[in-house]
Amino acid sequence: MVERDDHPLLVTEGLSISFGGLRAVDGVDSFIRKGETLGLIGPNGSGKSTFFNLISGIYRPSSGKFVFEGENLVGFKPFEIARKGIARTFQNNRLFLDLSVLDNIVIGMYQKQKATLWQTLFRYRRTKQELSRTASEAAALLNFFSQDLCEDRYKRVSDLAHADRKRVEICRALASDPKLLLLDEPSAGMSPKETEDLMKDIRKIGEKMEGISLIIIEHDMRVIETVAGRVIVFNYGRKIAEGTFSEISKNPAVLEAYLGEESTDVAA
Amino acid sequence: MKKSDGHPVLSALWLLAVITLAYGLVIFFLVVEETYTILVTLMVILFLGYFVRRVESLRRWLQSLVEAHKKLAIGWILFLLILLPILLGSNPYVIHIVFSAGLYAILALGLNFQLGSTNVVNFATAASYGIGAYTSALLAVHLGWSFWIVLPISGIVSAFFGFLLGLPTMKTKTYYLSLVTIAFGLIVYLFLNNLSWTGGPNGIGGIPFPSIGSFSLGSSWTLFGLTIPFQANFYYLTLILVVLSYVVAQRIHDSKLGLAWNAIRNDEIAAECQGIDVTRNKIMAFCVDAFFGGVAGTVYAFNVSFISPENFTFMVSVTVVTMVIVGGMDNVPGVIFGALLMTLIPEKFQAFQSYRLWLFGLIILLMLFLQPKGLFPQKIRRYD
Repeated sequence: MVERDDHPLLVTEGLSISFGGLRAVDGVDSFIRKGETLGLIGPNGSGKSTFFNLISGIYRPSSGKFVFEGENLVGFKPFEIARKGIARTFQNNRLFLDLSVLDNIVIGMYQKQKATLWQTLFRYRRTKQELSRTASEAAALLNFFSQDLCEDRYKRVSDLAHADRKRVEICRALASDPKLLLLDEPSAGMSPKETEDLMKDIRKIGEKMEGISLIIIEHDMRVIETVAGRVIVFNYGRKIAEGTFSEISKNPAVLEAYLGEESTDVAA
Repeated sequence: MKKSDGHPVLSALWLLAVITLAYGLVIFFLVVEETYTILVTLMVILFLGYFVRRVESLRRWLQSLVEAHKKLAIGWILFLLILLPILLGSNPYVIHIVFSAGLYAILALGLNFQLGSTNVVNFATAASYGIGAYTSALLAVHLGWSFWIVLPISGIVSAFFGFLLGLPTMKTKTYYLSLVTIAFGLIVYLFLNNLSWTGGPNGIGGIPFPSIGSFSLGSSWTLFGLTIPFQANFYYLTLILVVLSYVVAQRIHDSKLGLAWNAIRNDEIAAECQGIDVTRNKIMAFCVDAFFGGVAGTVYAFNVSFISPENFTFMVSVTVVTMVIVGGMDNVPGVIFGALLMTLIPEKFQAFQSYRLWLFGLIILLMLFLQPKGLFPQKIRRYD
């Protein structure tokens, strides 16, 4: 069993949700430390994305709780959880497609902008200053990950290629300076070259935001092996294994869960 | 970007000439009465507009002119707009239709916060318009309150009803949300028609003209021997309100709130995950929209001095929705343009009165096929 330290960032206790008769996430106990990168793997339909939807407040758990920085966040709305410092990306991009790249990031910084409607109407100059400050901060964030993307910041997101969209989504999630970032299959649909770049980007996240914690759902085991210090394995909504990548890749339960599909990948 | 071609004075003169030419064409369109002349003028205007749009170099040139002399352009346009009733002095009817186009522009700007920015298809514009008109009429007729006090009050009352409509619609989305707003519009219409204190189908009459000091907006005045009809007073009042609404709408569009609405339009769940309180922001859109409607309704009531439920039917809501779609979703000047276009064109083709609805339908169909984002689609926000 993995030792849990005294003050983990996020703890889930018996976290469960049922859809009709199906227990999509079933009594998951887990935790993540500050500054840690946690891999979350498991066969399709094992409840990984549902787990993310629970801790980002999109679904409400049927039982159990999740505690972030000592506060039980069950029943909080997604925007409240986002304001507490949990940001996420989605398995299928959910960008604001008809807006520019820069606008997407500026919206990611929504919580940092203090202007009220009153100030917008009657103290417009100040509101505008705040907005252009936010915009240059957003451009700097884009520039940190990719200069090309920063140059394309006035393009509509719908005009970008798939890999760039994924990158914009990661930047948007980082824009709010979150304490915990949830990445839902960032490498989905990427070429091997693009996946290489992605792994560099993920390492850059740690450089940019010191102390940020990451939970990353992945099917590409190379990504998990490279970036995750610890891995949790899901099957049928339950946590079946936990440990370093080399530990879980030898775990018979994990091999069995993947058998017939991706057993070779895991064993590799 | 900025191309300083030639002498700055020369380019300023070019700019003034272009604006004045466009203005002259519009005035000509407004005053001619013979159907074929109207048709030809309209074709010329539309063709010129299309031409400017299609010819890249011409468009660039015009843009650089405007960018170089932005303040001059705004000042000149305002000056020409102030001049308008004086030029049209002998034609009070035309001044009146420009006035009502202005009222529709306010309604359309309000609706744009929902339809354009947030993609909340609200068909209850007539309701907030009517609530504004009735609130101000009741306060003015029964309590004798002045127009200037009643104007903000009816805006706030209307915004409150917008809030009341907003609450239950949060449970619904897309078509279902639109259905709720249609139902709300019908309920308001039925109440206005059946309550005794709103005058039922007879409505409310005897609403006094607003006045500034001892000058009533219902009286005409003379300038250098020219008689300026009273319609001009309402034209100026509406001009001020449209300019104010424009400034407010543009500021909101360029602010955090405008961005949050655009985020909601694209993806509610993703917006919520950026820390945006979707429910609150949507209700805010309902309130701001209704406030604009209430203000426009007040001006309308004090202009016609008699209102009845028939002024606030579902058809009004549909017209305003059309204006936003034609002008351009979430493009503030575009929305005003759409409102002017969709008011002035039907008015000028009174000869085809019986085909009016047919014409409306045709325009919507053509727009949705050829330019689904409107004549002026939303521009990308610039921060530098």
